[in-house]
Amino acid sequence: MNRRIYPLLIGVALSLAWFAVPLPVLAAAPADASEPGVPNEYCLSCHDTPGLTTELPSGEQLYISVDPILFKTSIHGRRGYACVQCHTDRTEYPHPEKTAQTLREYSLQRYQFCKKCHAAEYESTLDSTHQKALDEGNSNAAICTDCHGIHNIGGKPHSRRNKAAVCEKCHSEIYNRYKQSVHGAALFDESDPFVPTCIDCHGVHNIVGPSTQDSFHLFSPQICAQCHADEELMARYGISTNVFDTYIADFHGTTVVLFEKIAPDQETNKPTCIDCHGVHDMRKVDDPESHVIKKNLLATCQKCHPDATVNYPTSWLGHYEPSAEDAPLIYFVDLFYKIIIPVTIGGMLIFIASDVGNKILKKRRAKV
Amino acid sequence: MSSERKYLRFTVSDRIEHWVQMISFTTLGFTGLAQKYATSPVSIWFIALVGGVETVRILHRIAAIGLMLGTIYHLGAIGYKYYVKRSPITMLPTLKDVTNAWNTFLFNLGLKKEKPQQGRYTFDEKFEYWAFVWGTVIMGLTGFMLWNPITTSKFLPGVVIPAAKVAHSSEALLAVLAIIIWHFYHVHIKQLNKSMFTGYLTEQEMREDHLLELADIKAGVGPPPTDPKEVARRKKIFFPVYTIFAALMLTGVYFFVAGEETAIATVPPAENVEIYVPLTATPFPTPFPTATPIPIGNTWEDGIAAMFVIKCGACHVTTALGGLDLSSYQGALKGGISGAGIVPGNPDESLIIQLQSKGDHPGQFSPDELTKLIDWVAAGALER
Repeated sequence: MNRRIYPLLIGVALSLAWFAVPLPVLAAAPADASEPGVPNEYCLSCHDTPGLTTELPSGEQLYISVDPILFKTSIHGRRGYACVQCHTDRTEYPHPEKTAQTLREYSLQRYQFCKKCHAAEYESTLDSTHQKALDEGNSNAAICTDCHGIHNIGGKPHSRRNKAAVCEKCHSEIYNRYKQSVHGAALFDESDPFVPTCIDCHGVHNIVGPSTQDSFHLFSPQICAQCHADEELMARYGISTNVFDTYIADFHGTTVVLFEKIAPDQETNKPTCIDCHGVHDMRKVDDPESHVIKKNLLATCQKCHPDATVNYPTSWLGHYEPSAEDAPLIYFVDLFYKIIIPVTIGGMLIFIASDVGNKILKKRRAKV
Repeated sequence: MSSERKYLRFTVSDRIEHWVQMISFTTLGFTGLAQKYATSPVSIWFIALVGGVETVRILHRIAAIGLMLGTIYHLGAIGYKYYVKRSPITMLPTLKDVTNAWNTFLFNLGLKKEKPQQGRYTFDEKFEYWAFVWGTVIMGLTGFMLWNPITTSKFLPGVVIPAAKVAHSSEALLAVLAIIIWHFYHVHIKQLNKSMFTGYLTEQEMREDHLLELADIKAGVGPPPTDPKEVARRKKIFFPVYTIFAALMLTGVYFFVAGEETAIATVPPAENVEIYVPLTATPFPTPFPTATPIPIGNTWEDGIAAMFVIKCGACHVTTALGGLDLSSYQGALKGGISGAGIVPGNPDESLIIQLQSKGDHPGQFSPDELTKLIDWVAAGALER
């Protein structure tokens, strides 16, 4: 008996999907796996054929096959979403004509469907360096699907290495520098779970960089501070969190802090952490390749101070507080003034107090 | 008393000198302390008001030039006063000033009946003058090091520069506090001494603070009258010497100000790296299955049934949409509500082939598959 009603229901559903429920209704439908509209089997009856392609006007081949297993293991497949929930314009057969001229154009059209369900993430990308590049006409800039994949989205959990590898697809040169850095080496060689990957500094969807924000450079110390000001985390590596205080106390850091507070939209004219330590290739301080190791420090200083000579780098104490042992000159100059200021000013105040007291007494006597 | 005599204390040039040093010092104090305590809200407010830290630094340096020029003038002025005019050097501190200070303190405490009598410059004025001299020397030396760190580190160890910064900033605090506490108390609060602006002290004021000087004036004691010829001779020596001295000093100021280019104006890019270097020419991230042709034989059981399941199964195997049930050989022959699906030996009459040949049926066969299907039907649509 059921076997008789079943086809009827499917038939009704299909005809609704085909004729009675046009696009707008589907598009407005929330991401609810329980109302797929057109069943996936219907689409897969064609699209699971391996190697299906269609030629675009550019002559490029657009692959239109979908591996059902691949899709079923994706996050959307596992949760039972329907093809037509993303491909909202493909609810009918024959499908509407493609308007994309090239593969890239096709991708750029399709990824717009992501925002239907992932509005917040999409909105967030609007502030990203990728969106800025897109707006400037660079169609290579990454869109949702370039990073997340298409039918295999969320197929397997991303390791931190894989996350960096996502960026590598377009930013291979920077990725290679990162791999050599103290952070990258710890990630790849030691599987360190705490070192930053690309997104820890640049953000996830609202990925920013110096090309997006003029202020990126200026505020970059705050990115470093996310980890390097964390005492517990830094204790794991034996790194002092004092580095910020000593930086801010210095001419460079003082200027940068003032720019942050007063002229946040202006490019800093003083170096931040990355200008000395390196951007993607910061090394351990005892690495011979480190920009700030003693033998390389003069060259690093000379980037901004071209006339600097051999003594010049020693004017920077390397983030150390001056102590009697390390920098006795500074320590004792400081100590001298720590004594002489209170003594001098105290003496003045005592003398003035005596004079004031005398004047008050005199006035009282005059009244009596 | 209102018709009392006034006594000239500061000449116009003295007063101008004071104005220059006062404006320079005040500017240096404000712009310097704002940098010393850069992260305090007051400093940030002040720096923003002035127009940013770079403006503050430029003002600080302009004021420093003002102070240096004022100092060079002052050295000339005292040189003239003491060499050419042979005025008594009244500003030199003596042991008497120490006892004067101590006795004034005791007087204030009521431990002495009389206030010590003092001359042209009282001990507190001398103290302030020499403190200013000391401060100017320290600030000038350390200021040079901070302004010219590269030149400094050519001759001295680098650590001298942060040490100079500590000294410069601490000495500044001392100087500003001394001005606010000592200077302001003595000439603004204790009594408003306007002589630095008007030039004159009243007899009452002279009596109060400079009794010995007043007595000297009244007694007509002054510098011995000099032969105008002698004065002219001294001038002939003084002016060339001072001109050379001032030229040297001004050269010094020039090197102070423009001796080195400490840093280039803008920070160079921290990294030169190509941003977009894709691993593949066109990023197209999904792996695509390649065609593995379905093995289609020439009987229902040898591939034709499998092809129907794959291509048509969603509607016509798991269900029987339109009455067409392709799950069995009989179902395929029988067809759906529109008529026979397969007519053995006659592909043109077979509805499935008719529909598929139009090319727009969901679950469309590939041309190859369609050919295989037609061949199978033409050959009699064998079941096995």
